This record gives sequence, C-alpha cells and structure tokens, in this order.
Amino acid sequence: MSDDLVISDLAAGYGHQSVLHDLTLRAEAGRLTAIIGPNGHGKTTLLRAISGLIAARTGEIRLGAERISGLPAEAVVARGIVHVPQGDLLFPDMTVLENLRMGAFLPAAARQERTVLEEVYTLLPKLRDRENQIARTLSGGERRMVGIGRGLMASGRVLMLDEPSLGLAPIVIEQIYEVIAGLRRAGRSILLVEENAMRAAAIADQVHLLDHGTLAWSGTGAELSGRPELLETYLGV
Amino acid sequence: MTAMRRDLLLCGLFACAALVWPMISDMRYSVTQTTFFFIWATVVVQWNLVFGIGGIFSLAQVAIFAIGAYVTAMLGYYLGTSMLLAMPAGAVAAVAASLILGIACLRLYGPYVALLTICVSQVLYVLIVNDTDCFTNPPSGCMPLMGGVRGFSRFGDLGFRDWLGAGFYIGNYYVGLLLLTAAILFSIVIIHSPMGLAFRALRDNPVYAAARGVDRFRYQLWIFGLSAFFTGLSGAFYAVNTGVVGPVVFSFQHLLFLLSMIVIGGVGTVWGPVIGAAVLMLADEAMRELGDFRDIGMGLLLVACVVLMPRGLTGLFQDISRRLAKPAGTEGAR
Amino acid sequence: MDVFFQILASGLTLGAVYAISTVGLALVFGAMNMLNMSHGALMALGGYMAWFTMTGLGLPPVAGMLVAVLVCAGVGVMIYLLIAGPMLHSEGFETRVFIATIGFGAMLESVILMAFGPQPKPQPLAVQGGLSVAEVHLPVQNLLILVLAMMLMAALALLLQKSRIGRAIRATAQNRDAARLMGVRVGMVYALVLAISGGLAAVSGITVSSLSSLLPNMGGDPMLKAFIICVVAGLGRVPGSVIAALFIGLFEAVVQYTVGVRFSFASLLLLVIVVLIWKPQGVFGRHQGVRL
Ligand SMILES: Nc1ncnc2c1ncn2[C@@H]1O[C@H](COP(=O)(O)OP(=O)(O)OP(=O)(O)O)[C@@H](O)[C@H]1O
Ligand SMILES: [Mg+2]
Repeated sequence: MSDDLVISDLAAGYGHQSVLHDLTLRAEAGRLTAIIGPNGHGKTTLLRAISGLIAARTGEIRLGAERISGLPAEAVVARGIVHVPQGDLLFPDMTVLENLRMGAFLPAAARQERTVLEEVYTLLPKLRDRENQIARTLSGGERRMVGIGRGLMASGRVLMLDEPSLGLAPIVIEQIYEVIAGLRRAGRSILLVEENAMRAAAIADQVHLLDHGTLAWSGTGAELSGRPELLETYLGV
Repeated sequence: MTAMRRDLLLCGLFACAALVWPMISDMRYSVTQTTFFFIWATVVVQWNLVFGIGGIFSLAQVAIFAIGAYVTAMLGYYLGTSMLLAMPAGAVAAVAASLILGIACLRLYGPYVALLTICVSQVLYVLIVNDTDCFTNPPSGCMPLMGGVRGFSRFGDLGFRDWLGAGFYIGNYYVGLLLLTAAILFSIVIIHSPMGLAFRALRDNPVYAAARGVDRFRYQLWIFGLSAFFTGLSGAFYAVNTGVVGPVVFSFQHLLFLLSMIVIGGVGTVWGPVIGAAVLMLADEAMRELGDFRDIGMGLLLVACVVLMPRGLTGLFQDISRRLAKPAGTEGAR
Repeated sequence: MDVFFQILASGLTLGAVYAISTVGLALVFGAMNMLNMSHGALMALGGYMAWFTMTGLGLPPVAGMLVAVLVCAGVGVMIYLLIAGPMLHSEGFETRVFIATIGFGAMLESVILMAFGPQPKPQPLAVQGGLSVAEVHLPVQNLLILVLAMMLMAALALLLQKSRIGRAIRATAQNRDAARLMGVRVGMVYALVLAISGGLAAVSGITVSSLSSLLPNMGGDPMLKAFIICVVAGLGRVPGSVIAALFIGLFEAVVQYTVGVRFSFASLLLLVIVVLIWKPQGVFGRHQGVRL
C-alpha cells in the first residue's frame, strides 16, 4: 500500500550510546502494528526516531513514497505521522481544551478542528466534562486520555501510541484499549508500543519484538499467542 | 594519583620559570604586568573552583576580591595597621562575607545564584560611589567612610620601597608569584581530593550522590568559603601592589574581564583559568592601540569563544591532541 | 495625604517602567530558559535609536518609536541566530548563554558609546508639562508611561492567550518536545520571542531615558532591577512579573521618600533575599521537577 510506514536498516541513539541498529520493519496502512520488547531496549527510541525528535544515524524511514528520515519533528507531523509520547507530555499550564486544540495546531488540522473535536469528545466523553481544567491537576488516567485525544486532533495518517496503558488501573486500561480497538475498526493506521505482550497479541494485526535495539521476531498477534517460549526467552514471562 | 603528580610537576616548572623571569626581562613594564597576571590568575583559579568544580554559578568573586582590597586599604588608612597584618585580615573578612553570601543564596536554583550575586556586587558599587557624607576631613578633602568615588591611596606597602628602592616592584613580583603558586597548589589539592571527587559525583549523578549522603549545600559552602580566602588575599595584595583602591574593582567591566579568562581558558580544569588569564592579558595588551575598538574586541572574543569553543582553549587542546593521537579514520567510523 | 498620593503616583510610574522591561526578560526565560544579559544594552540602543530618528533625521515621534522597536527586534533575532540558536541543544546552555549575552551586551554598549559619545543626551520622545490634581503634581510624561505600559501589557496578554502564535509560544515554554510534536517550529518561536523582547526593551529604554537622560550604560541598573523583579516573581512567570514590577515600583518609591535614593537599590536587594529565603522559587514560581 502507498501509506505503509517502512523502516530500513535504522540506527539511532543518544550521544555516544547507540540504542537501535540494523532495524528493519514495516507498519502497514490501515492496520494495527504492535512493538513489544523488554524495558530499555529501544521502543521509545524507535518512535522518537520516526517522529524526528532524534535523528536517524543511518538507514531510512519512509511513509509511502516519501522519505521522512532527516526531517525535523515539526515537518514529520506535517506529513501525517502523529506521536503520542510515553508519559503524555501534556502542556501542564494549559486547560484540557487548549491541549486538545494544540493537537490541531497545523493549518490543515486547524481547518477541521471543530468536527474532529466533536469526534474526540464522543470517543472520550470524560474530556468534555474536564474541558476547562488545568492539565497539571488531572489524574493519571485523565491525562492519558488528553494525550490520546490531542494526538487524534491532528487527524494524521499514522497514529503512534507509546505505552498507553503505562501506570494505569486495570479498569482504565480497559477503557483505553476499547478506544484503541475502536480506532482500529475505523481503519486507522496505528503503531502501538506495548509492554504487555498478551494484550498486544490480543489486539494487533502484526507484532514486532524488539530486543537490544534490533528486530528479534515478527508475526501476527495470533502467532504470538501460540508461542509462549518466545515470551519466556525475551520477556521472561 | 598520576594526574595530581603531573599537575604538581607542572606547577613546579611554572614557578621555576617565573622565578627567573625578572632576571632575564629587564623591562619594568613586563614585570609589573606579570605581577598583575599573578593577581588575576589567582582570582580566576579560585573562581574556577567555585564555578567549574563546585558547580556554583556565582558572580560574587569580584565583590569578594574587592572586599579583601577594601578592608586592607581601610585598615591601613584609618588605623595605620601594618600591611603584613592588614592583608590576612582582608582575606579573613572576604571569607566571612562569602560565607554570609553563601548561606543566603547557595540553596537557590542556578540562575538565581548568578543574578543575586551580580546584584550584590552592583549594590556595593552603588553604595560606595553614591556615598558623599564625610567620615573624616583630611587636607586632601572630604573622605567618605568607604572612600567614595576616589577610593583610598597611601595606606602603606610591604616595605619593599625602603629595602629595594626603585626596584621595589621586583619584591611585589615575588609576593605575587608566591600567591599564585599557593592558589594553584590549593586548587590542585581540592580538585584531586575527596571533596573534588564528591563534586564530580554530584555533577554526574546528583540523585545517586544525594542518596549516598553527599550533602551538596555543605560542600558548596566549604568550597565557597575556602576559595574566598585566596580571592580576598589577592584583593589585599592588589591593594598593596597598586597603592590605590577605588570602586573600579567592583565594576562590571572588571567582572567581565575576569569571567572571560575562565571561559576562554576552560571551565573546571586546573590549568584552563591560568591559560585564560595569560591569553586575555596578552589580548588586552595587543588591543591597547585600538582605542575604542578594544572593548568591542574583548566582547567579541568572549562571545565567539562561548559559542564556538564550549570547553575553552584546554578543551580545544584536548580534542586536537586526541585527534592526532588516533589514527585517521577511526573518528568517522563511530 | 498629598504625600501618599505623590508616592503612589511615582511608585506606579516606576512600576510601569519596570514592568515593560521585566516582561520581556520573563518571556524569554519562560520560553527558552535563557537569561538575556544584553537586555540593558538593547534598552540603551532603543533609546538612542529614537533620539537618532527624531533629532538626527528630524522625523516625527511615531517614526522614532517605530524605528527603535524594529531595530531592537532585529537585534533580538540576531541574538537568536548567532548566539542562542547554535548552543540551544548543548549541555550547560543556561550558563553559556548567560555569559555570551554578557559579552554581547558589552559589545553593543561599546558600539553605542563609539557612535553617540559619552555625554548624556535628552530623550526627545517625551512630553513636557504636568497636571495638578488636588495638590498632587503629575508630569504628563508619567501618565503617558502608565497608559503605554497598560496598553502593552494588554496587547501582550492578548497575543499570548488568544493568537495562534501565542499558543505556540506558551506550548514551547511548557514542553518543548511536545510542542515540536504538534508541529510548532520552535526555532521560529525562539526567534520571535527574542524579537518581542527586543521590541519591549526599546520601549522601556525610551521610557527610562525620558525620565532621566540617554547614556550608553543607562540600561545596566534597570536591567538588574528587572532581573530582581523576575526573581521575586519566579523566573519566567510573565503575569506574575507584572504584579511584582508594580509592587517593587511602589516599594522603591516608599524607600526613596523615607530613607533616601541612595539606599533604594540596596533595600530592593534585601527584599529579594528575604523573599528567596521565604520562597526559593519566587512568589509565583513553582518547584521545577527533580532539580536538586
Ligand atoms: N535522552 C536519553 N539520553 C540518553 N540515553 C537515553 C535517553 N533516552 C533513553 N535512553 C537510553 O536508551 C535506551 C533505550 O531507551 P528506550 O526509552 O527507547 O527504551 P524502551 O524500550 O522505551 O523502554 P521502556 O519500556 O522502559 O519505556 C535505554 O538504555 C535508555 O537508558
Ligand atoms: Mg519506552
């Protein structure tokens, strides 16, 4: 498909430390691709390299026909890749509504701000009640919803979610995953980083396992469910 | 310990070379300028301990220097105290002032320290310059308590004039050399001591160091107070050497000149400030002819160094020697 | 009672003057953690540009104000391009940019000194005359400054709260990475913030010199006072610094009347030290994460 996100021979890192190397993988358009892997093996780094927050050292990242590696972060969003970062990174002194509106900052998204805001409020009704609350004072679950809502406001082509369940109570995780499942049914392209392999296997079309910054295994969610030994080797579960 | 040995050896070599300098250079001007170099280098070597090692972005060093100078001059002027007593008294006063200042601002977040300390020295300057109430009325005219705009002169010297006659400046030269050598030795010891290590730990991993019981505030106060001793002493010696102390020593230009020495030489190293002091004094000398362009040149030099050479001249030397030591090509492969 | 109103009036004028210079500093620190130590030199530059346009070229006051603001805004952008921008992502940015802007300010001041000489000059962009209301004497110039300050603050608040570019500035200040992920070009934001701050410095230089006179180093003291106000408010708190500026202006007026002009700066400093011992992050400041 023309809108696949393709990563080839990617290397990236911080300062003298190299985190990702020889990483090649593909996230197909209209499907949910999950990245799993142990803590600190480069999942967040991968998303940061895709969204342009850090530079790729070698290799290439393409969205469809267009090469996006080498572009600064603000140009990558403009190409339709939306990154909902780990830890939410909200604007702490803005209200919920202002945070959401920041999601539609770019002109293309700003034109449909009103309609998309209604869609986001339908998907995450709690945000409507909290509209005027300062983000700093939100609970962890509410923050996560604002983070996801803000990402949806950009109406991008690919949505990258970094550990949306991190640090939440099981019941809130259920709510968040229902939203993600809804997005998947709606045919959105999603790249999901998830710590919990079984949850990823349950929802993903395709799963990639990262180990020490490189691809260790790929397969469908169903295949992963049938390979408990994989999880034991790599994730120790 | 090898790094410490090397630094001690370098310090010895430096002192020996400096010992013979007045004998081979018969120009009075170059000897007196070198004496000033000793004074400024002492100040910046100590400032470097506070800023580069202690991680305290303090701009009070110039004020502490000035306090040492003023106390020495005032003791001599008002009480006729011998300079041999007045100088250490000036240094002790500087330590006391720095401790009070340290207690007031060391718990604050970095930039606040810089702003507060710069304000303190500016306020002292304003208070001295605007003081017009006469404290005494000598024949030369009204004398405010702190000397006012004119400052103090004729408050005594170290006795070299009686002893060496016209060659008294050579006596001052050796006192300055002694001062700088002591200051460098002190800096070497601090940098390689457990205290220096504690600071490195604090800088590299503050959370871990704090968990291991390294009390940042206490260490900072120590280094702040200890370094003030040599800073104050160099101020006292400056007073004796020049024979006049005026509010100029508090001025912003003066602060800028000294700050440039540290930054251009290289923050946080033993030799960076010494090299920086030498380079800036030479640059100042070279630009003397340029008149008004001199200040512009000095400002430009500082800006260019901060932007282009973040680790100063010593950092640049290190990078160059590392690149030369490595066979070509390995750098790019990383 | 007249004395009370007289002090109130001069305190508010001082506060208004301080507010204009403080807000620019606070904006820059809030957006990029940068203490711009060349702000004082920019103030002097603004004052002299107005003088040059009006006295030197004989143009009307509006042109004087406009030229001053534009030139200083341009120098602000230059500071970003040549100094702050290149070191933005490097270690020790806060200290390095502090030192570099001290150097830049000294340079700018020397250039002004060379171009215009060391003698004080009168600021032509000032209004003579005064109003007497119930035995309280008010120079028109002071009233004008008060009105100007209020208009500028309102305009700035409107820009920050309501405009797209204002939202970009606030977003960048609150979380740089997140702002980039929203598509904000933070380089542009930084350049713009320094330009706005430069423009405000020009206006503040004009007001300061209209109350005294033009000198190449006229910006030094007001800048340090502006920084004191920033520290009292908490660095980077823009609305808080306006309140703090008015308060400090009143405080200084009271001190000048009771103790004497000589001690106004010293007592300000004493006040700051007391405030910081009581609240180490400033009155409106908030503790910043895990900074130890
Ligand atoms: N800003 C940074 N500077 C230096 N090293 C970093 C930085 N961010 C991450 N790292 C290092 O890079 C490695 C990979 O980190 P990354 O955040 O990509 O892991 P992760 O797979 O997302 O882990 P987790 O599941 O815990 O979020 C880690 O060793 C981490 O310490
Ligand atoms: Mg992660």
